[in-house]
Amino acid sequence: MTVTQLNGYRLMWIFVMFDLPVTTPAQSKAATKFREFLLDQGFEKSQFSVYARFCNGKEQFETYMRRIENSLPDRGDVHILTFTDKQYENIVRFSGQRRKRQKKNPDQLALF
Amino acid sequence: MERIVDIAIDGQHLSAYRGFLIVSKDKAEIGRIPLDDVAAVIVHAHGTTWSTNLVVALAQRGAVMVLCGSNHAPVAVCTPLEGHHGQNARMRAQWEASKPLTKQLWRDVVVAKINWQAAVLEAQGIPTDAFDMLSRRVRSGDPENVEAQAARRYWPLLMGEDFRRNREAGGVNGLLNYGYTVLRSLLARSVVAAGLHPSIGIHHANRGNAFALADDLIEPFRPLVDVIAVQLAARGCVEVTPEAKRAFAGLIAVDLPGENGTTTVSVAAGRLAQSLSRCFETGKTLDLVLPRPPSAIELAGLGSLIA
Repeated sequence: MTVTQLNGYRLMWIFVMFDLPVTTPAQSKAATKFREFLLDQGFEKSQFSVYARFCNGKEQFETYMRRIENSLPDRGDVHILTFTDKQYENIVRFSGQRRKRQKKNPDQLALF
Repeated sequence: MERIVDIAIDGQHLSAYRGFLIVSKDKAEIGRIPLDDVAAVIVHAHGTTWSTNLVVALAQRGAVMVLCGSNHAPVAVCTPLEGHHGQNARMRAQWEASKPLTKQLWRDVVVAKINWQAAVLEAQGIPTDAFDMLSRRVRSGDPENVEAQAARRYWPLLMGEDFRRNREAGGVNGLLNYGYTVLRSLLARSVVAAGLHPSIGIHHANRGNAFALADDLIEPFRPLVDVIAVQLAARGCVEVTPEAKRAFAGLIAVDLPGENGTTTVSVAAGRLAQSLSRCFETGKTLDLVLPRPPSAIELAGLGSLIA
């Protein structure tokens, strides 16, 4: 029994990046719908048009990918990236000119 | 990743926004967790408020909400009314299960529990011959109450002569209450997801207990909590601190050896409940998938859950 709940090689992050046309009202509606779909699936906004979600491993990734595939708007580009929790730890974030603290990985326990 | 959300500080509001559980204080958001990842919400703080919208969203996803007393033991649990598509047929089979069947199922659960207790003691270097003998003595329905006989030996060996297991007490008992609450919420969730009714137990039947079945199925898993409590107490932690909570919450993701390879405790709980519903439908105890006790090395590895 390896205690795996924090195994940084099994846990992954999914990043969804999209570029959707919003020139007509119908298009913006479709873009909003897609964005809200991502929120419903538990994807958090990382920055404009970039949404991220933590996931358990390959199988769960496949599930989310299928769901995204079934909810794509008619036009526009969507890129889905995954990386391991280990790689996520190494993300460098700048806000303004300041380097921001790394985001903490989710814990098995959310204590409030 | 399945997560346990624990609300311990007064004055917070829980609500749902799209796919998230939002925790806010003074109208400002202080945290969000994807609803799909929530296994259970455990509420201790009595000043907590929440929206019905959230309770509905949790129920739709099969997550349970547990309300606790000041001793960290659960007082009420909110589970979905509908957890499985074949629920009606399964509940019928559960309700109509024959007495011999439920008695045999209970025997299997008790044997598993005693074997787990033995495994835990063995990992602490305590001889367990008596437990091997006891587990062989359990008969259908456990008429001699071997379960209690094992418990009488188990607690003093594990916790020392002075220890008394008491749900109302604090200290180490509070730690145990909290750990069992986490497991109980997991089992309640598995039972409902398997299409079974939580208040129809196989043994805990006549105790005015709405979660009798979860209390039956939790038995073999309990020693996991005991191990963590012993290790916490050895480090001088006898209060339900955030560190203690974190260690217990981590239990649900611990890997256990199983029939089809290694699985986490939460998957093992799900398999147990699923296999139980099959037992009710077929009338046979053969395919009850009880969790196998881990080895001493694996149990020692639990220490890494404590930060």
